[in-house]
Amino acid sequence: MSEIERRALMKGAALSALAFSVGGSEVLLSPRQAHSQNVPFRTLTPPQVETLEAVGEALVPGAKTAGIANFVDQQLSIPPEQALLEARILNIRPPYANFYRAALGAIDRTSRAKNNDRGFAQLSMSERSDFIDLMRQNKIEGWQGPPGPFVYLVLRSDAVDVVYGTVDGYAALGIPYMPHITPTKRW
Amino acid sequence: MANEKVDAVIVGAGASGSLFASVLAKAGKKVVLLESGPDWQSSDLISSDMWGRRIKPAGVPFLFEGKNPYGYAYQSGWGVGGAALHYFANFPRYLPNDFKVKSEHNRGLDWPINYSDLASYYDKVAQEIGVSGDAKAEEIWRPKGEPYPMPPMKTFRNGQVWLKGLESVGIRMVPQPVGMNSTEFKGRPACIYDGWCHVGCPIGALANPLVTYLADARKGGAEVRALSTVTRLLTNEAGDKVTGVEYYDSKKEKQVQEASVVILAAWSAQNPRLMFNSTTDKHPKGLANSSGLLGKYMMAHFASGTWALFDDDVEPHMGTVGGQYMSYDRYDKTSKKGAFGSTYILAGAAFKTSDLGGFANARLDLFGQQLADFMRRAKRGITRLTAFGEEMPNIENRIELADGKDEFGMPLAKIVHSYDQDAVALWNANFEEGLTIAKAIGAKEVWSARGNQPTIHLFGGTIMGTDAGNSITNSYGQTHEIANLWIAGPGLFPTEGASNPTYTIFAVSQRGAEQLVEKWGAVAG
Repeated sequence: MSEIERRALMKGAALSALAFSVGGSEVLLSPRQAHSQNVPFRTLTPPQVETLEAVGEALVPGAKTAGIANFVDQQLSIPPEQALLEARILNIRPPYANFYRAALGAIDRTSRAKNNDRGFAQLSMSERSDFIDLMRQNKIEGWQGPPGPFVYLVLRSDAVDVVYGTVDGYAALGIPYMPHITPTKRW
Repeated sequence: MANEKVDAVIVGAGASGSLFASVLAKAGKKVVLLESGPDWQSSDLISSDMWGRRIKPAGVPFLFEGKNPYGYAYQSGWGVGGAALHYFANFPRYLPNDFKVKSEHNRGLDWPINYSDLASYYDKVAQEIGVSGDAKAEEIWRPKGEPYPMPPMKTFRNGQVWLKGLESVGIRMVPQPVGMNSTEFKGRPACIYDGWCHVGCPIGALANPLVTYLADARKGGAEVRALSTVTRLLTNEAGDKVTGVEYYDSKKEKQVQEASVVILAAWSAQNPRLMFNSTTDKHPKGLANSSGLLGKYMMAHFASGTWALFDDDVEPHMGTVGGQYMSYDRYDKTSKKGAFGSTYILAGAAFKTSDLGGFANARLDLFGQQLADFMRRAKRGITRLTAFGEEMPNIENRIELADGKDEFGMPLAKIVHSYDQDAVALWNANFEEGLTIAKAIGAKEVWSARGNQPTIHLFGGTIMGTDAGNSITNSYGQTHEIANLWIAGPGLFPTEGASNPTYTIFAVSQRGAEQLVEKWGAVAG
């Protein structure tokens, strides 16, 4: 690969932060920073963001403020060969946005059908937990979308990534990170 | 566009392709490696599960069918180094009983060679790229060979805690041989046991191709063309020689690279896909496929994991990702009643938090506050025992072209894979024994890592054999029907054993590459 192509492919990667658009400029932020700064979303719609944040938080406490929606949204906006999503290693065929749209749509549709038109994000924490428990076991009647257990695996992995897979996540757990090459933005 | 003819074009710059390139370049051959992914450098290997996914493919040109669909992307490679850029570098050998399963049990297939044909190549590879271990200790199960060039790796509590339980059921453990440096080796530093092997080792303590065979090949003048995707092999009019390959370069422009010899080293699934896509009137079923066995006998390993959770600190973050101890004490094909196939046992490994192998997935059923509570307990107290199982070759497990095309207009392929009853029985039996062992080690909790039966590694599709009626290649990887078309990698294996395959891939490739050099005059087109 030529040096120019190589630099293009590795853009962002070398610094280990993600490139977000803020005020027309591209800045390198962690998803947590992007969430706290209300960075605009590029690919996901507001309802999809709301559902993803609610599902992520129910799967792994802390996922919303760790920026799960910003992480997934940013990843869906870049070429698949640059993506860091676990979807990449689960045989999901790009564009990955198709999977996320189908998965989030299935969750919200099913929630509305079973809960008097309340979307997943409008459910109580207890109701969210019950919904996810059925989804992971493929026990939701009338489910239409990617298989529920697979949706559970992918979204749970994203939530684990942003909460526990970062330098900050290791520090919060009290595990030595011990990198050879450090993600310099603690990401 | 046509390029100047070279001596050898190698499709794929992973484990076996890099080794072939090294041997041929050292022999003075002009070599070009065509690699579909990027030209990674060691400095690209960031210590992060998320960033580590970049060295795996994003969207593979395969469809997955069968009762146990193949988990492709997690374990394949994308870019120079291939899957060996992120492999765990466990270096067990296959044992003598792996090579004659048909003769000894009237099951499966025989290899056309014996352990003794490979023994010296195992030793040679160890000296070449560096292996740490205790060869003498392993000789309770295998014929004698040379000592490894480095002593065994350090062990940690996450491995040591299993020894008492294993001993209680009569399983002897010895240090895991690994393609890693326990001491400095040939200018490469010793391992620092940080557990990031699976996202690539940038310091070169782990013997990935970037710091071993591919580096040697480049020193010898081999040229690597990254982001170059081969779509078709070209043959002469008579159909008895390959003349080169057709590929798309990094600008997605079509190119032709002529060569005297073509070596397919693009992994077990992609090699048959390319050969199916290269049909001619002389090879209407795919290149070198008069037997009809191209793409057949695909095999995978499966693992039965047993987790143990201690209240005290077993240092789960320390060590290497592969294993600290290993045993062949369940390696006889009939060691488990009601099942068939070998079992290879590993104890101790470093665990990170996320990704498929992270300890967040040790209890995949947990989410919400229960998962948060589990993570706090597991961070210091979790460890795993792993038993790898062997699947017998089944002609129904196969690769064939499918509807749909990739971005270069090449047909997609599908991998059809299902485990038979013996494999399921062996998987279950290994869970049972794992729990028995775990209950004897004094852990707070123990449980089986059950889920869908996993598919690990990938073998077959271009198996070696004695003639064109029962196989695609001879024991060196040379196709029976086209003398200057060679295949390298685990696709050649007629049976898969139960242990990690890369050391055997290297040994088989070393043997094949030396044969190619020796017979060059009679082989090259």
